[in-house]
Amino acid sequence: MKFSKLILKNILRNKRRSLLTISSLVVSLFLIITLATILTEFSRGTEQANPARLVTRHNVSLAFPMPAAYQQRIAAVPGVKDVMRFSWFGGYYKDLKNSFANFACDAEKLRGIITELKMSDAEWQAFISDRQGAVVGKKLVQLYGFTPGQRITLKSPIYNTDVEFIVRGVCTGGDEKTLYFHHDYLNELLPAWAKDKAGTFSILANSPADVPRVAQAIDSMFINTDAPTKTESEREFALSFQTMMGNVKQFMYGIMGAITFSLLLVMANTMAMSVRERTREVGTLKALGFQRRTIAWLFVGESLLLAMLGAAFGIGLATLVFRSLDMSLYIPNFQQFKPTAETLAAAFTLALVIGVSSVSLSAYRVSALTIADALRSTE
Amino acid sequence: MRLPIKYNVRNLTVRKGTTLATAFTIGLTVAVYLMVMALARGIDLTLASSGEPLNLIVVRNGSTAELNSAVTREQLNSLMFLDGISREGDQPLAAPEMITLIYKARKGMSQGSNITVRGIGPMSTKLHSGFKLTSGRMFQPGLAEAVVSRRIAERFQGMDVGDKFRIQATDYTVVGLFDAGGKAFESELWVDGNSLASATKRENYSSVLLRVKDQAAMEQLAKRISEDQRLQLKAVAERKFYEDQQGASSGVLKGLGAFVAFIMAVGAAFAGMNTMYAAVARRTQEIGTLRVLGFKRRSILVAFMLESVAIALTGTAIGIVLALPLNLVSTGTSDFTRFAEIAFNFRVTPDLMVSALIFGAGIGLIGSLLPSIRASRFQIVDALRSS
Repeated sequence: MKFSKLILKNILRNKRRSLLTISSLVVSLFLIITLATILTEFSRGTEQANPARLVTRHNVSLAFPMPAAYQQRIAAVPGVKDVMRFSWFGGYYKDLKNSFANFACDAEKLRGIITELKMSDAEWQAFISDRQGAVVGKKLVQLYGFTPGQRITLKSPIYNTDVEFIVRGVCTGGDEKTLYFHHDYLNELLPAWAKDKAGTFSILANSPADVPRVAQAIDSMFINTDAPTKTESEREFALSFQTMMGNVKQFMYGIMGAITFSLLLVMANTMAMSVRERTREVGTLKALGFQRRTIAWLFVGESLLLAMLGAAFGIGLATLVFRSLDMSLYIPNFQQFKPTAETLAAAFTLALVIGVSSVSLSAYRVSALTIADALRSTE
Repeated sequence: MRLPIKYNVRNLTVRKGTTLATAFTIGLTVAVYLMVMALARGIDLTLASSGEPLNLIVVRNGSTAELNSAVTREQLNSLMFLDGISREGDQPLAAPEMITLIYKARKGMSQGSNITVRGIGPMSTKLHSGFKLTSGRMFQPGLAEAVVSRRIAERFQGMDVGDKFRIQATDYTVVGLFDAGGKAFESELWVDGNSLASATKRENYSSVLLRVKDQAAMEQLAKRISEDQRLQLKAVAERKFYEDQQGASSGVLKGLGAFVAFIMAVGAAFAGMNTMYAAVARRTQEIGTLRVLGFKRRSILVAFMLESVAIALTGTAIGIVLALPLNLVSTGTSDFTRFAEIAFNFRVTPDLMVSALIFGAGIGLIGSLLPSIRASRFQIVDALRSS
């Protein structure tokens, strides 16, 4: 610690170089934090899945709906607390680019099954008692200015129809870019071929322990019908959407690896230049009686301090940017876009590791020189 | 008077470590840029090559993909005998097709993706050129048999010759694997249209593919179908139909690629500036000497910038070499329009490499600008006197 002043002096000696190095660290760490946050959000569906919830879909794929009448039979399965129809409507608002999630559901059951949705009792009542009513997530209000009482029309390419809803409540929780409406209302409007069907059933089991048994009981009940089912935990269902996207994780890790390695090179290069330029000073320090270890630590300390400064500003920048800019508004299925504490801590640790490892070789080499060799250096 | 190129080259080789470290930083930036862009390019090229110049695809008005389109049998009857459709013998080259999805797990995973199942008509293989069986045999019309794209069979469980899969109450057997010349159909599974209709109890087709006689007939026919109020269908050139799907997956990737590459480039430019400032500082006396010898400020400026660009181009070359093997990598993703797997190769195309070179050189130029200006502004006396 007694050398901290010397380390600081050394950093300030070439202010421009220190500033450029720190800037390089800042932008790279900002990028790593951003990519890590994308990964966090990408995995949220599986990480935060309700362990007591299940999803039943048609065994072949989601393109096949199931008879709505399955609902009563699923409700009778032991271990099932509640079940509702939950069907993707695929509607968009005015223009195809305003696409957001919208589901037909059993209005009176929505609150009890998707427990993370929060809204006032009055709003729930207003929604349930209006067949044409819809609940919109808070972020849809931010994006399109929906207000309670407003009539909004969604066009659905799946059913080739326009459907008008009346906003009855604004909810928080889950993906807040979602609109929920009455399945019964949709059913009235659909042509005969599409009536009395459900895309999925959303099921709440009595406890997470019941989940495997419930899934098996449901699937064996319909196995010999025209519409056999596949029931899985909400986590597995979310995972199926993640795997659909392909190797997103490996891809992102690949990019983050490249950024880390390039950052290591930047730091190593800077420190190598600084160390080399001070070779003669090392000779002087040695002549004054400084030990090899102390000299090496001076350089390590300098690199660490640079890395820490870079990390601090990088973390600060990411926190500030994503506090004022909510990227989740524009990315389907992302619930929020805030770097987690783990991400920030990992970024800081990464910076420290880069700080130490980038300087070690140069520090080791220069501190090993004899006084005469160091003093004779022409750098 | 220009400084000889040899001067720059010698300066670069004398500081091998620094030069290489800086070059690698730029190389990694370029490699990441190429990786993301090659992925986007792979999807785009697959889609762009999928349509045929004289094919017209007819879907329902208002549908955004074949998956949510419907063409009734009556509509098909009024389409089949319109003017401008090519014929083979007395049969019009028209292929009604039916699309659905089947969910399959990827190899080695518990979950997977949807695969497009295409129920094809007798004319379909004539209208989709490039279709070629690579093993097994073609399905027999009317039977519950399927041919699967080789890429899909490689990537998903239970899709090889001899495997069975179920659609509703019908068990299909895979009897052959096919290639489709890198087109989007290479992500599909083909069965007989009539058998799929009875398996799914569906009356309607998803789309009708028409081969027109020539380009003029194409426009006329497209107009004729799209403007017919009774039909409520739209006819689009098949090429355009697939090209229009390009943005769905590749748009996000291009955005991500540009964002990541830009920020990495900023970081690399800072690093490049450090390297060049150090080079300038180390050679202050030398710069003074050059000025005494009569070299102009401008020559000094150009010399340092060239040096930086040379480092950057070396780095770019490293980046391209790192990214090139990606051409051999096959991958797949889904978007929410198709809602099904599309398999493709990374494509590091020549134009991407050219853009990488420009990008890399740009980093070098921007990184060297300030240090080079500094070098060119030294007063001769000060420069010579510096230690």
